[in-house]
Amino acid sequence: MTRQQRPAQIACSKFLTMALAVFLVFAIKPYYGGEIRIKLNEPTSFTLNTANYSNLVLYSLIYENFFYLQKNGALSTNVFEEYRFDAGSKTLILTVKDNLSFSNGKPLTAKNIQVSLKMFLGTNLFAASKLNKLIKNIRMTDNQVMIELLADHSDIVSMLAVPELVVFAENEQSFSGPFYPDEWEKNKHLVLKANPFYAGGRAYLDAIKVIFTDETLPDVFLSSPRSLRENFQEFDSGIYQNIYLCFLQGDVGQNTKLALYSLLKKFNEATGFKYKELHTLTADEESPVSIQIKSISTQKTASILKSSDIKLYILASLSYLEKDLTAFLKDSNLKIETLFIDDSQMMNFLNSTAITYVLIDKIFQTKIPAEEKISRILKESSFNQFNVKYLRMLGELEEVKYSNSPELLMEQIARISETIINDGFIFPLFQKNYSLYIRNECRAVDIDYFGRPLFQKASKARE
Amino acid sequence: MKKGMRLLLILFLFPCAAFPQSSAESLVQEAADHVQAFFKNKTAARVAVVQFENYSELTDLAMQKVYQMLTARLENDTNIKAADLLLNFANGRGEFNKSKLNELDYLLYLKIIQNKSKTGLGMAIFSRWQDKLVSITYAEKNISAGEMEFLNVANFAFPELGFARLSEFESKKDLLDVQSITGADGSARYFFFYPDEIIIYAAREDRLEKQSAIKLKWSRPFYPALHRQGKLLIFPFNQSLVMTAGGNFSSYAQVLTLTNDQWLETAKVNFVPCKQIVFNQGLYLAGARYEEGRNYFKDRIYLLPFSDPIDNSGTVEKKTFPAYDIDFSTQEGQLQGIHLIDRNYQYHLLTADFAEKTPEVNKKGASLAASDGQWLAVSDYSRQADQLFFYDIKAGGQRPVYTGKVPGEIQFISAGTWQTVKGFWVCCRLSQDNYGRSMLQFWGKRHD
Repeated sequence: MTRQQRPAQIACSKFLTMALAVFLVFAIKPYYGGEIRIKLNEPTSFTLNTANYSNLVLYSLIYENFFYLQKNGALSTNVFEEYRFDAGSKTLILTVKDNLSFSNGKPLTAKNIQVSLKMFLGTNLFAASKLNKLIKNIRMTDNQVMIELLADHSDIVSMLAVPELVVFAENEQSFSGPFYPDEWEKNKHLVLKANPFYAGGRAYLDAIKVIFTDETLPDVFLSSPRSLRENFQEFDSGIYQNIYLCFLQGDVGQNTKLALYSLLKKFNEATGFKYKELHTLTADEESPVSIQIKSISTQKTASILKSSDIKLYILASLSYLEKDLTAFLKDSNLKIETLFIDDSQMMNFLNSTAITYVLIDKIFQTKIPAEEKISRILKESSFNQFNVKYLRMLGELEEVKYSNSPELLMEQIARISETIINDGFIFPLFQKNYSLYIRNECRAVDIDYFGRPLFQKASKARE
Repeated sequence: MKKGMRLLLILFLFPCAAFPQSSAESLVQEAADHVQAFFKNKTAARVAVVQFENYSELTDLAMQKVYQMLTARLENDTNIKAADLLLNFANGRGEFNKSKLNELDYLLYLKIIQNKSKTGLGMAIFSRWQDKLVSITYAEKNISAGEMEFLNVANFAFPELGFARLSEFESKKDLLDVQSITGADGSARYFFFYPDEIIIYAAREDRLEKQSAIKLKWSRPFYPALHRQGKLLIFPFNQSLVMTAGGNFSSYAQVLTLTNDQWLETAKVNFVPCKQIVFNQGLYLAGARYEEGRNYFKDRIYLLPFSDPIDNSGTVEKKTFPAYDIDFSTQEGQLQGIHLIDRNYQYHLLTADFAEKTPEVNKKGASLAASDGQWLAVSDYSRQADQLFFYDIKAGGQRPVYTGKVPGEIQFISAGTWQTVKGFWVCCRLSQDNYGRSMLQFWGKRHD
């Protein structure tokens, strides 16, 4: 190609690109096809786990929620033809759409809805325990699920719009979401294909490729806010992720706790402060109390931990720390073994004494009230140490919520925070804020109240 | 609107273009005069333009107007029996129905040439019987830039004489198709197809009155779709009426038969019938199959011999293209052509033996419907300025004749009849309507 030809060809290709863009923007019919690449952390399985932001996004692609809460607060559903609250019988009636199917074509019926709801209510989640307190019983007919409440509760539908309440199939290989897993190449990528039976209507895209490496440039990724990227739009997800160090057995000495805490703080320092220091249980900006845990010196840390044989369990959702943390611990010459475990595995271990030290993470939506967040931490992160005292504190917090006194509410939040820290089973470590970055060529990616990108109506400009 | 403004400005700046005898018109008149002089002493000479080439700045559209002016003049001459064989004008050349050549006595060759300052029209008359050129004429005029622009402006014809919107109704969400039947007493029934029901209306003056509704029950596999589409077909069979209804949400179409004044589901067809056609003296259902849950048809056409009971194993497949829309035009029940819009919005015409006619690059659309073998309506393929184009397909060709603006986005077009006028139902979604309602219009030729 001559030098003269090149600018002409570039101009021509620019013109063609523009013409194509105009064509696509104004083309009357939505285009079905194409693939979007999204970079997320590799999951360990397809068992629902919404512990971190990456998982929250991934599982929203393959599992359908009962209800969706849009950014503006509006509720929507794809699985129910109708839902109404009968005040007389204090019953929420959910009518399932006709002829729904899971991704493998197996019927999705009222029975699946009932079972899924019961599974959710059986979890250790704060949202589930809140709902549990309200529900008297759950019945079903051919195409309806009736949720009878103990008392009139007009807010019941919005309580069902939580990311963890999804429609499960009896078979693990069928999925209710807009996409279903088709091909998983470990450590590389996971291809999700459009679910032809998706209750909300088949997505425009043919596939979403979830990539786990940096080998190919993604169209969508999660990163710290204001990580300016050319050709990408940044969306404030409102999501932050907190990392805590938990001690599940009561016999851990204070010195060991402080030494491990200091060591992990050092790890953050050594890796260039990738995470924001966290001095509260929720977020420093909203918490009425600031927690100051005194770090101890490197030498003292080393001498305390030298004789210890520590197994540090880390939730699989934090697996991206593995490489750096292993290297750091190796350099420190300490006998600390790191073991990555699934949420479900950890729940099984709780009744044994196998786990003492755990690194966990929790994600929060900024917009959710502080009292809700502190309740979640107390309920979901105290594990086997949850006791009557905490239950009473939660009850008191609930009462104060209805007192319409912000001062009293803050006081109660502060009291709970102090109690948790003084009881010494959870130490806040770090925080990471997230923005969602979407390539300009990707259109109509909706973002819901929980900061999840919704790809059902998304499309990508054809190359 | 912009085009309208452009036209007004041109009229204002170049008043000569609006005067009755423009340069182009006098050029055409000279050519017509020459033809008339040539045929002065002849009787009922069968004449047609069979070749028309353009070597000027004039667009294909302008050439079509020049052609229309010339044929209009020739048709007024009592000594000539002028035939109109133009199928289309594209890429500077007229495309003519050459199958009629042996019905002619004289053939006319036309050529428009442009030199530095003038535009010329050359004409040759060829005698088929003498097998030689018998006359040649050439005239040239100075066609101003304004007149040239005026000729190139895209108005096809006078709407009041052509297709116009005759009626308009509002419909609830998800209207998929409209069909009608006329009873022995002349009263018409209109069938509105929604995914879950078919509502039957009767016309009362300019209104539609609901008569009854048929609830539709679908079974698995069922494919929920973001944009539901479907086709309805009604036809008489064995002294009864049969209706087929299918869409992109189901892998089969329902066949309903009118029995004792009740529509009952009697069979299932494994594709979506679009039209009933006569083929080898038997009745066939012709249609296609949607990509499940999506807004386009697969790359196959299906033909099923219609019988009672239906035997789906007799279905014949023909390969075509994945298509946003598809329709079959018929002449006296026989398949005349298959019209389809592919996923690049390109229009394709297949002949009755499923061979593709040479595709034309500039012919695009989104939805279409064929009304018998007479007219083809095609919607534009852009969201901002949706409009309808009506093509005269009588001679099997594709000649755009009328156009009309439509508010909102056209969802589907289907051929139909409204109060004895044949035409097209056009359903469009109003972008500002939050409830997803549609506007249904009927377009027809008032004077037909």
